[in-house]
Amino acid sequence: MSGLLFYVLLGLLLAVLAGVAKGSMRRWVVGAGLALLVVFAAFPFSRARGFLSRDTVDPTLLALVPTFPLLLLVPLSVLVALVLARWGGRAAGLGGVLGGVAAIIAAGWWYAQPAQIVRLHPVEGLIELLIALGVAASIALLSFSRPKQRVPILIGAVVAGVLAFVWFHAPQGGGVYLPKSLGYYKLLFPTPPATQQEIAEAYNRALPELNAIRKELGQDELQPIRSLADLQGALPQQASSQGYRLVQPATTQYGAFAVFFLAGLMLGAGLMQLGSPRLQEPDDFRAGILIALVASFLIPAFDATEFDLNKLVVGWPFLQQFADRAWPPLLADPAAERYPLQEVLSQIAVTVQMALVGTFLAAIFAMPLSFLAARNVTAGTPLMRSVFYATRLFLNVLRGVPTLIIALILVAAVGLGPFAGVMAIAIHSLTELGKLYSEAIENADKGPVEALESTGAAGVNVVRWAILPQVLPLFISYTIYNFEINFRSSLVLGLVGAGGIGYFINEKMASGQYDQMMVGVIAIVVVVNIIDFASSWLRSRLV
Amino acid sequence: MHKGVEKSVGVRMIEVRNLSQTFQTAKGPLQVLTDVNLDIPRGDFVAVIGRSGAGKSTFLRTLNGLLIPTAGRVVVNGTDITRLSKRELQKYRRTVGFIFQQFNLVNRLSALDNVLHGRLGYLSAWRGLLGLYTEVDYRIAREQLQRVDLAAKESARVDSLSGGQQQRVAIARAMAQQPTLMLADEPAANLDPVLSEEVMRTLKRFNEQDGVTVVINIHALDLALKYAKRIVAFKRGRVVFDGAPEQLSQDLVDDLYERKEMLV
Ligand SMILES: Nc1ncnc2c1ncn2[C@@H]1O[C@H](COP(=O)(O)OP(=O)(O)O)[C@@H](O)[C@H]1O
Ligand SMILES: [Mg+2]
Repeated sequence: MSGLLFYVLLGLLLAVLAGVAKGSMRRWVVGAGLALLVVFAAFPFSRARGFLSRDTVDPTLLALVPTFPLLLLVPLSVLVALVLARWGGRAAGLGGVLGGVAAIIAAGWWYAQPAQIVRLHPVEGLIELLIALGVAASIALLSFSRPKQRVPILIGAVVAGVLAFVWFHAPQGGGVYLPKSLGYYKLLFPTPPATQQEIAEAYNRALPELNAIRKELGQDELQPIRSLADLQGALPQQASSQGYRLVQPATTQYGAFAVFFLAGLMLGAGLMQLGSPRLQEPDDFRAGILIALVASFLIPAFDATEFDLNKLVVGWPFLQQFADRAWPPLLADPAAERYPLQEVLSQIAVTVQMALVGTFLAAIFAMPLSFLAARNVTAGTPLMRSVFYATRLFLNVLRGVPTLIIALILVAAVGLGPFAGVMAIAIHSLTELGKLYSEAIENADKGPVEALESTGAAGVNVVRWAILPQVLPLFISYTIYNFEINFRSSLVLGLVGAGGIGYFINEKMASGQYDQMMVGVIAIVVVVNIIDFASSWLRSRLV
Repeated sequence: MHKGVEKSVGVRMIEVRNLSQTFQTAKGPLQVLTDVNLDIPRGDFVAVIGRSGAGKSTFLRTLNGLLIPTAGRVVVNGTDITRLSKRELQKYRRTVGFIFQQFNLVNRLSALDNVLHGRLGYLSAWRGLLGLYTEVDYRIAREQLQRVDLAAKESARVDSLSGGQQQRVAIARAMAQQPTLMLADEPAANLDPVLSEEVMRTLKRFNEQDGVTVVINIHALDLALKYAKRIVAFKRGRVVFDGAPEQLSQDLVDDLYERKEMLV
């Protein structure tokens, strides 16, 4: 419980911090309220276990409402708070306080409930509906830029949405590719005591058999239970496959933290609003929507990335040990015939050379390609037009593949070493430079082009003499900048075995020779800065 | 090259028949030229006047095939240039000089390089790509630079020249084409009055010495009256006057620039 209180306090703290800026507090009430609605419907709150770990279901508050109807208080109080917020002034503050307190009480009450058996009830077609709405909405968005074709586009959006739903919902339809999604959202219904007793008895009956197996595996013998509340951890297999789950309210998921944090924020913002009701602004609802959106994306992201500062605390001894062993850097140890500095310098040189060759190759090929990828140069004939689209497509698709992945594939193909790195850099840079060059060409002044066209010069000569002199300095500038980037990416390429200083560092790290590795790190810092500086100096001279 | 010189003024060089131009714009079709008919004899010096938006630039661009008209014919020396293939059009264009209000020089190149561009139409594509101009090309280019008093600046980058000098480089570029027809779209609008006169005098000189036919769009009525042998006035895409400068009445000028409407 103290953990949850921490999140309430965190929310209150944020409200206070926001209040220091003397801005409207109403938007925080609205934002936290809207976010609470999202959390209520979409974020997992508790955990419900089955037999295997994959039977686990993490229900949202909404899913828990059939089991614990008091939870409805959360959305209802939020709605009241939002209505009061419309009203504005002290009423908005009061709404925030009431909503925040009600959410804390309802969610906290559920949290204090004992473990209990529930029965899953999947909501059919919900994910399909969401997908269909997504499809329809993205098509409907098109109608904004084409007001004239609005009606046909909207009809198309509806048709596409319906088709998407039908396809996804059909027995052998799209659901095959996303098997988890069908019936993903599950409501949790309470089970009558009689059923619970039955399950417990079934468990006891099966116990001797289970214990025999456990004995063979060297595990402890399990005792018969009187009721399901005695169960530790998993449910019996049969009950699990019948759709029963053991829900443990106190086994909180990130949605629980979100509820208490947002409730705290709402409460705090409400209190501050009561104190200074005049600070509200007309666009508070829009700001509130923005706050709610950010919260709705940020909170699950923190959970998904397993964000936990505690890990740093746990890992601290390693960091200390690392620092001890890495400092001072070992430049050379003639007695043992080890010369890290010398090795670092030659590997840095290799890295720079990888970037040089990669950039050079990319520039050579990007130059002609970029003209084919420039709209203004390829306007002449339908053939040129299709070449333009093909080149653009090629560059765009290839640009999506990061250098590291190209290197990974090439290392497998041509073996470890700098060659794979050079090719990876060349291929990726080709796409980057191709795009930059072609944009420069498209932005070239049209005047000289028209002038040379009217001297009767051939098309290629117009490009050569009217466009090329204009874009060449830009090309050079982009190429230098690209080299700068390529040096940095060639550092990382060493990690996948594509040669250079990255390879050296990876090796020393793996073998625990941190003092040698440090030499490499320092060298990188120095060289990166030198190259940055030289590159921006050169480019500033150019234009 | 200068066949035009021997032939007397009065031989029809350009014949414009029922010319119309309509642009498709976001707001729907926009008729810019309506049923324009015009004969321009060889050696003439024509000033095209009219308000901004009257269609002067559009008309001029049609004369060298930068624009293809929606309807009508433009016959130059007996060929309808609205029906030429791309190759033939290039061949036609090298005999037509075009001077722009914004000069449209290639800024990073030298004055001589820019003037040499006037010779590109006479080179094969690959020689042009490599910049392999012939001795004759160089001689012509230098000669034209000389004629606009910029021989000393031949290796200066054009963006280091003044506006007047830049426009003279542009004129030299057009003259290096050894054109029989010279089109100029507001060549003096970006220049101060003194330089404007200078540009007009230069064009006049080429007209008189080389027999080049000149068609010039011009906003300044005084310059038009002073230098042109003939005035053509456009109003909302139609020719409303075509005759000698002396024939242009004050009423017509007022009407042309719609001064009365503006006063109301
Ligand atoms: N390529 C084009 N597309 C659409 N409208 C154009 C185009 N070129 C010119 N116009 C329009 O045609 C009208 C006449 O233009 P223009 O010939 O430049 O007039 P002027 O040179 O007499 O000022 C203007 O309204 C202009 O906006
Ligand atoms: Mg104009």
